[in-house]
Amino acid sequence: MQNIIESVVAFFGTILWPIKWVVEFLLVAWHEIWTFVGMDPDAGLTWILSVVGLVLVIRAALIPIFVRQIKSQRRMQEVAPQLKKIQDKYKGKKDPFSREAMSRETMELYKRTGTNPLASCLPLLIQMPIFFSLFSVLHNAQTGIDGIGLLNKSLSNSFGHSSFLGAPLHLAFATANGNASVIVLAVVMVALMTASQFITQLQIMSKNQSPEMKASPTYRQQRILLYILPLVFLFSGYNFPLGVMFYWLTTNIWTMAQQFLVIRNMPTPGSEAALARESRVAKKAQRRGGFTIVEDAPVVAEPRVTQRVQPVNSKNRNKKKTGNRR
Amino acid sequence: MKRVLSFLLLLPRNICVPVLKAYRLVISPLYGDVCRYYPSCSAYALGSIQQHGVIRGVFLGTLRIARCHPWAAGGVDDVPERHVHKYAVTRFGFVVVAGHGKVT
Repeated sequence: MQNIIESVVAFFGTILWPIKWVVEFLLVAWHEIWTFVGMDPDAGLTWILSVVGLVLVIRAALIPIFVRQIKSQRRMQEVAPQLKKIQDKYKGKKDPFSREAMSRETMELYKRTGTNPLASCLPLLIQMPIFFSLFSVLHNAQTGIDGIGLLNKSLSNSFGHSSFLGAPLHLAFATANGNASVIVLAVVMVALMTASQFITQLQIMSKNQSPEMKASPTYRQQRILLYILPLVFLFSGYNFPLGVMFYWLTTNIWTMAQQFLVIRNMPTPGSEAALARESRVAKKAQRRGGFTIVEDAPVVAEPRVTQRVQPVNSKNRNKKKTGNRR
Repeated sequence: MKRVLSFLLLLPRNICVPVLKAYRLVISPLYGDVCRYYPSCSAYALGSIQQHGVIRGVFLGTLRIARCHPWAAGGVDDVPERHVHKYAVTRFGFVVVAGHGKVT
């Protein structure tokens, strides 16, 4: 098992050299910051916070991609009737040809209207090398190989030999060798990761899906995922060093918070969360004394006034014109 | 003789086929539908390796993955067709010389 992981790491390590360099740079930069603030440079907590800092920078850099995806998901609502038409056309047709034709037409529609709701695998692909480089950094630190960039031998050693609450960060459940704090920490982290992932998925699925979405095969796929991921965490929690687990846990918590904010402030139209937000906004307006229309409401109302006046005017003009001709 | 030669010629791509199939069966479902294109990147890679062989296929597949990012328009993007159709694909996805084996 360990051999397979090692060769995979080595393989990715060679192709993903530039990303690995950036990961090391960020890690060392955060380590410098924490040391500058007065923390012990060799303490496990300092290194864990450096990993947390690394996650914050990377996830903040990924926000534009996330926002873009959400925006096109909102625009999906506009093409819903056309999408429904395609779905109705192939309703009940389960043969591969019909399904292929349906996927083709759906993709064409997304392209034509610029509403592609899919993120591409890039956000995943970006995170994979980060994960692998962190893994190899920790692994190398354990075996005494230094990094490729700014993570020199002494820093690499310091990271590799640091421990948090008595648990060395380079150890995993599998390599704990009876170290109770490693085992306890690994178990707690797997539990936390599973919980945060579960909450995130459940939040999206139970609150932020439009009724059409709930009827689609993708939704069912997501449901299955909900129960597979804890198994993945269990597997990784057993094999991956604690330092890597801290990266994964922080990333999971970021995703959870991001998802919570999105569901609260810009829910999918037509979903349960959207209704909840409407009633919240309405309540807020009532408390303020009724006359204030909250937040985005005036933006919608203003153009409507001008639009409503204009057609009346042009109609009157038309009537006058026809009247003159007679 | 000819059969042995064509078997050896097609062997590299036929080794890639089950690997990609396994990926599509086991790993792809883990993160659901994310590809902005039809066919998806892995299906595209599979198709191009079947049609164009490992070297050109991997090259085409890599270009496709590079094309698939959040700013791409997406849409239908098929594997470029070969001018000469020498081979056929079995139901599982192995490439064989046309006329041999079970062909769909």
